[in-house]
Amino acid sequence: MDYALQQLLNALAFGAEYSLVALGLAVVFSIMGLVNFAHGEIIGVSAYSVFLAAALGLTSPIVAVLLAVAAAALAAVAFERVAFRPVRYAPTTTGLLTAFGVSIVVQNLFMLLISPKPQSVSILNGLNQMWFFGPFAVSSLQVMELIVSGLTILALVLFLNRSTLGLAIRAASRDFATVRLMGIKANRVIATAFAISGALAGIAAVFIIARRGSVSPDLGFSLVLKAFVACVIGGFGSLAGAAAGGMLLGFIEVGLLVALPQEYGGFKDALTYVIIVALLVYRPEGLLGQRVELGDKEI
Amino acid sequence: MARFEVSQAIEETASPPAAVAQPRAALTRSLIGGLVTSLPVLVVGLLILNFAPTYYTYLALGAFVNLIVVVGLQVFMGNSNIANLGHSAFVGLGAYGVAILSTPLAMKKLSIPNAPFGFATLQLDPVSSALIALIMVGIVAAVSGKVISRLSGVAATIVSLALLIIVHSVFLNWTNLFKGNQAFFGIPKVVGLPWMMVFSVVVIVLARLFKDSRWGLQLRASAQSPQAAAALGIDARRLRLMSWVLSALICGLAGVLYAYFAGTISPKLFYFQMIFNTLAMLILGGMATVTGAVTGVIVLSVGLEFIRSIESGVTIAGIQLPQLLGLSGVALGVVIVLCMAFRPSGISGRYELDELLSRLFRRNAK
Repeated sequence: MDYALQQLLNALAFGAEYSLVALGLAVVFSIMGLVNFAHGEIIGVSAYSVFLAAALGLTSPIVAVLLAVAAAALAAVAFERVAFRPVRYAPTTTGLLTAFGVSIVVQNLFMLLISPKPQSVSILNGLNQMWFFGPFAVSSLQVMELIVSGLTILALVLFLNRSTLGLAIRAASRDFATVRLMGIKANRVIATAFAISGALAGIAAVFIIARRGSVSPDLGFSLVLKAFVACVIGGFGSLAGAAAGGMLLGFIEVGLLVALPQEYGGFKDALTYVIIVALLVYRPEGLLGQRVELGDKEI
Repeated sequence: MARFEVSQAIEETASPPAAVAQPRAALTRSLIGGLVTSLPVLVVGLLILNFAPTYYTYLALGAFVNLIVVVGLQVFMGNSNIANLGHSAFVGLGAYGVAILSTPLAMKKLSIPNAPFGFATLQLDPVSSALIALIMVGIVAAVSGKVISRLSGVAATIVSLALLIIVHSVFLNWTNLFKGNQAFFGIPKVVGLPWMMVFSVVVIVLARLFKDSRWGLQLRASAQSPQAAAALGIDARRLRLMSWVLSALICGLAGVLYAYFAGTISPKLFYFQMIFNTLAMLILGGMATVTGAVTGVIVLSVGLEFIRSIESGVTIAGIQLPQLLGLSGVALGVVIVLCMAFRPSGISGRYELDELLSRLFRRNAK
């Protein structure tokens, strides 16, 4: 019982983290059709700014958390301004490759300016403790991850449904031209979307630093690959799909960890991707994606 | 301009009589075109073969492998306009295929004594190993292509990445067969620069023939305007699958050749670093044309070698610069970003070398 509960919590915590990152990708994609491969480097910028602040003498974990989120949001907006604005109206492939380029540049800048080796950051280690609930021992980090992700997603849903800017973002994902005709500035909508996406990445970065206790140049890259996969299973561009896809991915991974014998543990990632590709054979448009036939009118 | 291209491509597709009337002339034209495109490669290769010191020959062999990979990448990306970020998986499969089949038994006893399916006691000659390895690559490509050709652009790209991760993870974890993280050594070194040049020319011509063929033309048309192409009865899925498999086979061939010239391979060679390098080459040169692939490889191979020499720390005017690890990566990324922002069609644009030359001559004649 204890074991099953522990694994359930594991799956939920992994899933929550993937959902956060996948949502960040989906927000940007749904509006401007950009497949943001540089999302992992937004996590990287956030983590490295915590590392630098700690190296310069920052000791308060709360400030570090705020810094991580703010740095990520700023980085996302800056990436948009510098790299993605020139290709805003270009085909999807152009944007995708640009983002890929940005990702390579930033990863290598970390190597060049700081170090190719992992650097230790202990400022957020306090978040990672064992909590005891009667007979159960759970990791505080996982519980927090679950709660914080839930609250963040709730806040995002409220923002998208209740505020004018949120409404504009949702409308822009359907028909950007009309949104602009209503007098809403394209730049503001896109910058907000990137800021949201960055803030979500920043929250994920906090948990990553707390869990690993170190930062390295490729810190966010593999996580973002998984988040992309989550987006694809959920249906690319659908926010609910991204969140659901992230959760599903968490459950598949933990399920495989439990099911696979120890010596085959290394195949976990490979098998996860195989399962997902197999899912896509049956639903190429993703679980919550809509099948759009050629020539269908946008509704 | 995009609209012009669409209508042009569709006109070409829609007017088969001209193509049917002179299939041989069209074939000859793209054959000659492919040979003209591979001319610079031959010249560079011959110069290096005759005049360059051994170190540069070794570098050139690496560049030729990249050339074949980039041309293979162009076959899929250039015609279907879907970004492929998983092609180095096929390079790896080709290389490991021949490594497992052709390594001498004495070496195998040291490296993979516990290989399953009797591979530990099997040694084939290089040619049949290469053929079997390519057949394996073809099978993997056909299965993965079945999935990828059904998906829309973005999802297809992500699945190609997933394929790369699956293959890499199998290389790393199936230690009995692939030796895991360690280098796989002792592969017979049977390929030198002349063979590499022959295969480069063959591959360039092949890519050009595919691009100019009915299928290539139809695929390009469907990439530019899916609706119009579907209305003309073009089966885009089948064509995407076809170009995916051809692209994978060319990449697999590059892997085979790499294994046969280097003699030693390891999984990390066929991971993201190779994707970054070759993708930047293709984008810089221009992915719409085979000429673009060739141009990109030549320009970036030279450029990267220069940057690498700075990266390892040089002495300029008596001042020793420190090691600058990551500089080449930054340069590659900047090349991709700047290209996408200012010249998405790359250096060569949308004309092949021979088309450019003939336009030039025609203009001069007037």
